Amino acid sequence: MINRRDFIAGSMTLTMLGSPLFSARAEMLKKKNLVVVLLRGGMDGLTAVPSLDHDLSSYRPDIFVDNSLRLNSDFGLNPQLKHFHSAWKEGKASVVHATNIPYTMRSHFEGQDLMESGGKTPFAESTGWLGRGINSSNLDGLAISLPMPLLLRSPISVDNFYPTRMGAPSPDMLQLVSQTYPSGSLLESTMQRVMARPISMMSSNSSRDAKDLARTASRMLAKEDGPRVAVFDLDGFDTHASQGNGNGEHSDKLAEFDEILGRLRQGLGNAFDDTLVVTLTEFGRKIEQNGGNGTEHGYGTAVLLAGGLLKSAQIYSDWPGLKPKNRYEKQDLMATLDARSIYCSAMAMCFETDFEKLRREVFWNEPLEDLQDQLFRS
Amino acid sequence: MGFGLGPGDKIPNNPVAWAKDQMNTVPDLIWDGDIPTEKHLMDQYAKWVTTDRRVLRDQYKGDREGYERAKDALRNQVGERYYENLELCIRHNTALKSGAPCFERLWFFWCNHFAIIDKDFLAEFSTGSYHRNIIRPCMTGRFVDMVKAVTTSWAMIHNLDNSESIGPNSQRGMRRRQQGRIVSVNENHARELMELHTVSPSAGYTQDDVVALSYIMAGWEHPWSKNREECNPVKFNPKKHEPGVHTVLGTPYKQKGISSKNKLMDVINDLSEHPSTREFIAFKLCRHFITDHPTDAMTAPIIKAWEESDGNLPAIHKALIDVVYEYTDKEMKFQNPEVWFLQSVNLTNANWPPQAEDMVYDFKSKPNYLKRRPEYVMREIGHLPYRPIQPNGFSDLERDWISPELLIRRLAIPQEMSSYIRGQIDFDEIIQKNCNAPIEYRIKVKGMKNRLKKLQYFFPSYWMLKA
Repeated sequence: MINRRDFIAGSMTLTMLGSPLFSARAEMLKKKNLVVVLLRGGMDGLTAVPSLDHDLSSYRPDIFVDNSLRLNSDFGLNPQLKHFHSAWKEGKASVVHATNIPYTMRSHFEGQDLMESGGKTPFAESTGWLGRGINSSNLDGLAISLPMPLLLRSPISVDNFYPTRMGAPSPDMLQLVSQTYPSGSLLESTMQRVMARPISMMSSNSSRDAKDLARTASRMLAKEDGPRVAVFDLDGFDTHASQGNGNGEHSDKLAEFDEILGRLRQGLGNAFDDTLVVTLTEFGRKIEQNGGNGTEHGYGTAVLLAGGLLKSAQIYSDWPGLKPKNRYEKQDLMATLDARSIYCSAMAMCFETDFEKLRREVFWNEPLEDLQDQLFRS
Repeated sequence: MGFGLGPGDKIPNNPVAWAKDQMNTVPDLIWDGDIPTEKHLMDQYAKWVTTDRRVLRDQYKGDREGYERAKDALRNQVGERYYENLELCIRHNTALKSGAPCFERLWFFWCNHFAIIDKDFLAEFSTGSYHRNIIRPCMTGRFVDMVKAVTTSWAMIHNLDNSESIGPNSQRGMRRRQQGRIVSVNENHARELMELHTVSPSAGYTQDDVVALSYIMAGWEHPWSKNREECNPVKFNPKKHEPGVHTVLGTPYKQKGISSKNKLMDVINDLSEHPSTREFIAFKLCRHFITDHPTDAMTAPIIKAWEESDGNLPAIHKALIDVVYEYTDKEMKFQNPEVWFLQSVNLTNANWPPQAEDMVYDFKSKPNYLKRRPEYVMREIGHLPYRPIQPNGFSDLERDWISPELLIRRLAIPQEMSSYIRGQIDFDEIIQKNCNAPIEYRIKVKGMKNRLKKLQYFFPSYWMLKA
């Protein structure tokens, strides 16, 4: 056990290593990492994890993924998800299918707002579910992007990292500039974080390629004293036109996600076993292809999970079927599970915080299901 | 509501009249070199996509390296890395030198309101020209005409996929259905036309309204051709248009013959006149120029001017100017990175952007360091104006522009900028003229020895970030 004095002394050093708001609680917990990958534009669960149901190929004659890898008797996996597939073979990847956030209006702007805020009314919240969960659990997070995603916003400020090549001023100058910011303002608290950064994170020559960022992030996550939460932002899943099949544009986007997963795994090393990677998108896409060999905005989709914290390689789903009568409004894959149950369970497990507390404080006491026993190893 | 006062600038005697005077005419773009036409840029876009898709991919099958080399040469030939930089130069030069900075700030506002997202190669070849040729000339007319021009522009049609729409009962749709193919409309453009461009969700439209408007819009397309792919001017294609009566927000729109004069223009007339539209846009104007949290007292005079002038933009802009002036000392607005950067340039008379002679390009080699500077700088500060990620454009809210990394960029840019600044700067005069910083702050600036330090202390200070 660390006494208070040691903790303060220790935290100074740790601060230099890159964790500005290292909390006492974080010190006590075994470190489990939660990595959320935002797939903007509406990720098509049926391109990522196609049902092997014959109907699907007839609903999507031109864009059906016909070279999928087999996951079980009912589902295949997009061949671009190579790293995901190798994790699956080791029992370190799962899929929750026919799920989504409770939003059915098919607008990107509303849907992306809700997938991040976790709420039901678009643009009603100014904080994100992950930010609130971190706050409720007294931990810290890191966004790997220049703009701060809504997902990570919370009453407390959260860190972001995206290397710049420009030269930052001296610590003395930062101090002086900081004094012009009103006390208690967002500018001031953000400046505190900047000043706590190691020089190497102020400006550097490291690459900003998504794969390289994943490597940088994984190194930080792998550190015992590094951040425990990271968010990646990928876009381009809105394939109304020329979506393609297993080698098409939507699959290329999945390959990008897979590459990030591969780099994370490599960089995390053994810490991959104490990590959960989970995807988040605003909605799935319609079951039937449209006239332009693409798909329209839909509802239900798949959530991809990877990492050693998973219970087993499984497809967890109350599968609704693809026939028109089983669909949402006869068009979309039905979501039979509120995806927020997955996210609330993931935070409860990774942050070792009571599920009920998170359900109350993060999700307004909405009726979410605790899936920890079903999805994660104990 | 401009870009601040530079070293030589005097405070106008009557700032309100000075600002309002700028609203009546569209100032010329300020650029000493050639300004590429929309047609020329579309030709370049066409050459880029067709040569890549139809020539290089065949020519270098299985030779990844050869393909990448050929593609890189093509990049230079068509100016794929050049035009966005040129557009940024024209945008910034005009903003700083047209003599109508308030007009220019409103230009930025409308370009962002009718945002074109970072998709395909629009930022490289099209969005700058769309801002110059579609948005700008409409700023002295009526709002409804701006909506019509935007909605039928190549950039927006491309951006929101309306060319994908085929009415199920259109000539083309019927034929496809007979062939057993799936026929549908793309709802994107119709949804954004209501959600982001005009009435906003507060009008209470439903999914049925979105579908009805998609039917009405079906047929507006950029035709595809083998030689030019999608790079052909927008046309109304009657063969893809969904005939019949469709109801949007309770109003049935009748078919008046299948022609381009059809229902879409009627719907735009009504959407533009809808009370939710003026409320939504008055709110957005106040949020952009005054505060993150506009009040009814702020929006009311703008809404009134809209009603009285029948949506005349100069009248609306002038009403806004009165409100902005009224709240000058009461509200501080956090400045987005691009505006803040241009204010920093203006206050220090910095040599920005690169000028026409710097931007002369041979279309053979990769554009040099100076020619690529505009894109580099805007990217570093997190605000490439031709590349918003979502169709609702860049945020107007302070919290969206403050994060550790974005703040680092504001702290780091003075070093970059100091190389653009020539001669002595009287910091005290600038600060006094532009900011209400306390005397202690001014004394501290005075006491600093070198210019870089002064810039590093001044630009990211509270007085510059909030104005």
